[in-house]
Amino acid sequence: MSDHLNIRLFRFNPEIDVEPRFEELQVPTFENMAILDVVMHIQNYLDRSLSFRFSCRVGMCGSCALYVNGRPRLACRTQVSALKTQNITIMPLPNLPIIRDLVVDMEPFFEKWKKIKPYYVSRKDIVDPVVVHPDSNEREFIDEMLDCIACGCCYGACSMAATNEEFLGPPALNRAYTLIADKRDAIRVERLKVVDKSYGVWRCHTQFNCSEVCPKNIVPTRSIQNLKKRCVLKKIGVFK
Amino acid sequence: METIKADILILGSGGAGLFAALHAYDCNPHLKIVMATKGLVGKGGCSRMVQGGLNVVLNENDSIEKHFKDTLKGGGFINNQELAWTLVTDAPKAVHELEVKVGCFFDRGEDGRIHQKAFAGQSFDRTVHVADLTGIQIIGRMPDQIFARDITVLEETRGLDLLTAEDGNRVVGAVLSNIRTGEIFLVNAKVTIIATGGSASMFKISAPSFDKTGDGMAMCFRAGAEFVDMEMVQFHPTGLIAGKSRLNGSLLEEGLRGAGARLYNGLGERFMEKYDPEHLERSTRDRVARSNYMEIMAGRGTKNNGVYLDASHLGAAFVEEKFPGMVERVKDIGKDLAREKVEVTPTAHYQMGGAIIDTNCQSSLKGLLVAGEDAGGAHGANRLGGNGICDSTVYGRRAGDLAAELASQEHVLPYDEAEAEKIRMRWLRPMTQESRENIYPIRDEIENLMWENVGLVRTGNKIKEAIGRLDALLEKAGRASVENRFIRQYNLEWNNIIDVINLITVSRMVATSALYREESRGGHYREDFPKTDNSNWLINICQKRKDDTGIELTQKPVVLNRLKWEEIENIK
Ligand SMILES: Cc1cc2nc3c(=O)[nH]c(=O)nc-3n(C[C@H](O)[C@H](O)[C@H](O)COP(=O)(O)OP(=O)(O)OC[C@H]3O[C@@H](n4cnc5c(N)ncnc54)[C@H](O)[C@@H]3O)c2cc1C
Repeated sequence: MSDHLNIRLFRFNPEIDVEPRFEELQVPTFENMAILDVVMHIQNYLDRSLSFRFSCRVGMCGSCALYVNGRPRLACRTQVSALKTQNITIMPLPNLPIIRDLVVDMEPFFEKWKKIKPYYVSRKDIVDPVVVHPDSNEREFIDEMLDCIACGCCYGACSMAATNEEFLGPPALNRAYTLIADKRDAIRVERLKVVDKSYGVWRCHTQFNCSEVCPKNIVPTRSIQNLKKRCVLKKIGVFK
Repeated sequence: METIKADILILGSGGAGLFAALHAYDCNPHLKIVMATKGLVGKGGCSRMVQGGLNVVLNENDSIEKHFKDTLKGGGFINNQELAWTLVTDAPKAVHELEVKVGCFFDRGEDGRIHQKAFAGQSFDRTVHVADLTGIQIIGRMPDQIFARDITVLEETRGLDLLTAEDGNRVVGAVLSNIRTGEIFLVNAKVTIIATGGSASMFKISAPSFDKTGDGMAMCFRAGAEFVDMEMVQFHPTGLIAGKSRLNGSLLEEGLRGAGARLYNGLGERFMEKYDPEHLERSTRDRVARSNYMEIMAGRGTKNNGVYLDASHLGAAFVEEKFPGMVERVKDIGKDLAREKVEVTPTAHYQMGGAIIDTNCQSSLKGLLVAGEDAGGAHGANRLGGNGICDSTVYGRRAGDLAAELASQEHVLPYDEAEAEKIRMRWLRPMTQESRENIYPIRDEIENLMWENVGLVRTGNKIKEAIGRLDALLEKAGRASVENRFIRQYNLEWNNIIDVINLITVSRMVATSALYREESRGGHYREDFPKTDNSNWLINICQKRKDDTGIELTQKPVVLNRLKWEEIENIK
């Protein structure tokens, strides 16, 4: 590893600046350095006015997604060495408004999330935790999909979300899947109606952009395909 | 100043804050509830980072009494017994609610029922979990319940200080700052719930999320609330060593030791045989962490000042299946947890001490409830792994219930405008004064000072030295100014100055209490008083603010109302 990195850093204050600019900085490297370490080093020692968002630093909270060398990534889980270059361009996550520098406004993301009724509604007849044998396929791959940390990487990578303002996008649809497939939930059909729209599951063109960038190795495309299947089953009256 | 009127103001959106909001709303949907949180909702704080799981009695062969005794034994018997009892009796309700109302789905065992795994210091395997990253499920689903209700959520909005009325005996809301715009405003509320999650982040090596800087505790202290056993800080034995990376000090969860992972020093000795031959690596956190530290200090550590955690003998397939999150994390530093030993260090993790509350989260000030890690007492001198998220869910629920009840009875009392303005001006100072005092070296100094002088092994002289230094640093941090004072929006440096002042405020309480307790117990170890002294120190140390920044200490004997001394003698 070389002893320093050449960083091109996106800077923008919508309140003051007419347009964004790039700042060029040299940052010394150290072992196990992640992109989060890079931006923190810059903010602490080189330019204290830089803004970015972070919290847990271990890939659990999903606060620090950035667009690094042409791809959405979690800053805390992206090792500098894995980028295999000394030249690194750091930008905010695409497809979302910018608050300042690398901080985006997640509001549109969560507005769509809320549209699919993301909250669990328990069936009236379920009064206790259900008994589910580990080898039954009752949970299909719900639990795997529930590992989503809502970081927005997939949303930033999705070419459909980029061009269709209405499109619900992979994370909201993935969350919808986890509830629609959950037999304990009382409003599965209602939720399926929300996603069974042109701006819902049918806008996904199965390009797998989302799955390529997911830091949790989730494949939202799979959830979306399963939702499509259920939408068809509903039309022929089989999904209840 | 812009003013919002509310029935209930909640600060924080971890397990405690989220549950408080949910319960308050469900008790009375007509109430105006405002939840302000420093990060994005459900993303900040440590509940999100819970790995191992949550302790609860579900199995017929287990019992509430056993969980209670384990909690007291782990806590060195200075726990507030009522709080510990409430913790264990309400835990099944909290887990039931998480599954049935919130929709969580904990891992199942062979029999199809909720699986419970082994943690340290427990007489029964009672930790429910979702693999090894449980918090994602719990805190991933809670905000969705908040979205389903008419609750006002103010994201990236931090509490700065509490507002008081009636000669300072009642809290009537808080002054806050919107981090995105830099605007300072206030919420005038009937009831204020502090749930900002404490923080052990004043140490060089620590595990909590970066947004936690003891804000709630510092706010409570400045408002005059009473605290208990602030010297009790938990160090987790197995923090990952990752050099200068921010990953340094992040946790490798306790379930690994629960499953049989072993610890070795640099000489290859399984040193827990020496410190706790009966329980070995499954001994309680305080003991294992201190043993690690002693080995390192005695020169028997690894190259990078740690010890080795070895799970490889458990079988690579087993480790990969049961601990996928930990395997991934370790992979980030180029190591393979399933196949080789990994260097670990003790890491500051949790504060057992905190604001004094009763079983319904009522603090010593009217109108102020405190829940979760900000509150003290339930865990005594050492918290059991798995009792933390248990605490924030149990007490979050209770705080919400009481807040709804109080808010339905009371009126909004006016705040003192001069006080509000004074608070605003105080926190604006870093933006207006031109001292060029840089906050970052101050922060580094506190972290080193606390680690060296008030860390795992303490002595009177070193603590005294630290207290003197902390006083000076508090003053210095008060002079710090922001480099670019024209940018108020999302100004990290400005927020860091506020963070550091809060960290020092809490550190002073920790150090003052640590100096006072002349014995060793749980997380508090005094080299100059290495023994646990039950004849003199079965007491709780209370403190509150005196004058401007002074601290007044008092001591109270531990109330042994449920588990009597004779019984304790038997289970020791
Ligand atoms: C890495 C890690 C792993 C853990 N694993 C376990 C485990 O397996 N089992 C277990 O029982 N416990 C575990 N714990 C402990 C557990 O996480 C805590 O006990 C518990 O989550 C505390 O909950 P809380 O609601 O009090 O605070 P937190 O969940 O920490 O939430 C605090 C909230 O307050 C917000 N906040 C902070 N300052 C302000 C402010 N000024 N204004 C407004 N909001 C503010 C934060 O953004 C956050 O939303 C773990 C802790 C860590 C760090």
